Amino acid sequence: MTSSMSNLVKILEGFNPFVEEIDEKEVKITISSDKVVAVLETLKSNGYSHLSLMTCIDWIDDNQLELVYILFSWKNGGKFLVSTRIDRNDPKFVTVKELWPVARFYEREIHEFFGVEFEGNDDMKPLFLELWDEKPPLRKDFDPRDYSRKKFPDRKYEKDVIKEAKIFRGEING
Amino acid sequence: MKERTIWEQIADSFRSRSIWMLHYCTGCGAMELPPTMTARFDMERFGITPMATPRQADIMLITGYLNTKTLRRVIYTYEQMADPKYVVGFGSCTINGGIYFDSYSTINRLDYYIPVDVYIAGCMPRPEAILEAFNYLMEKIRKGEADGWKRYKENYDWYKQNQIRSLGEVYVHDEFHE
Repeated sequence: MTSSMSNLVKILEGFNPFVEEIDEKEVKITISSDKVVAVLETLKSNGYSHLSLMTCIDWIDDNQLELVYILFSWKNGGKFLVSTRIDRNDPKFVTVKELWPVARFYEREIHEFFGVEFEGNDDMKPLFLELWDEKPPLRKDFDPRDYSRKKFPDRKYEKDVIKEAKIFRGEING
Repeated sequence: MKERTIWEQIADSFRSRSIWMLHYCTGCGAMELPPTMTARFDMERFGITPMATPRQADIMLITGYLNTKTLRRVIYTYEQMADPKYVVGFGSCTINGGIYFDSYSTINRLDYYIPVDVYIAGCMPRPEAILEAFNYLMEKIRKGEADGWKRYKENYDWYKQNQIRSLGEVYVHDEFHE
């Protein structure tokens, strides 16, 4: 952790975070979900103004979804990962589109692939999938093979031992 | 198969020597086309040249995996092409899904949705294999065996039924103007 980053972590101590150092310039902050927007605002006003990525992870055993915001600073190249966990059965969170307008699209994507509702973001049209008719596909309890078998018929493979032996011996061109 | 008249045989013979290929690259297989088109392998010596619009093209090359979103556009494009039209399935993804066999959005076999005249196996097929397949396709056109476009008309209901089963709806919605 560089000195400027540890100073920033000291500022954030009031939010009661769990701080993990991943790399020299990469720090992960885990906080409870009601303090996320305040932490993001603090980081943004301290130079971490670029939202590199916003993503979601499904922890099915804990029955929780983890939301991760990756913030990048163009001044010193540091990265802050702000992470929080929300309930998996009723996934709801607030939008950060007022802080970063680009978050609209990340939120649309997370809504599409994990089923998280973002309060305040009205535009929740599907972004990538068309006419999706199942549960959100990146949740761990969704079985893609089962879905593929149901929806996209497969080619039957009939084993012909004699033909394969002939190809193997070079008699016919496979 | 119906016997062709002498004029149809002559037309097929000419057709086979000037195939225009629709430049619609759906997957990673498109990577093998630049060396095939350019000086190293030079497919223009066989009379095959890339064409930008579906209405002027003769063959459609499906290079690699197709997800449901792309398949809708491919079906649109295929139906726009003028009539003697041929489809080449390129790479193992079009044959059985390849490494995307269990994907939730990638189809597993192409000939359920549009008729395929020639398949090229491999992941990826080398430019030699592509040229071999094109020569085979030209041979098939000359013999009158490449009749995928006729099969599509005869079995239109079957193809439509498969398309609707996998896609739900073939119609492409315009997200920005509706």
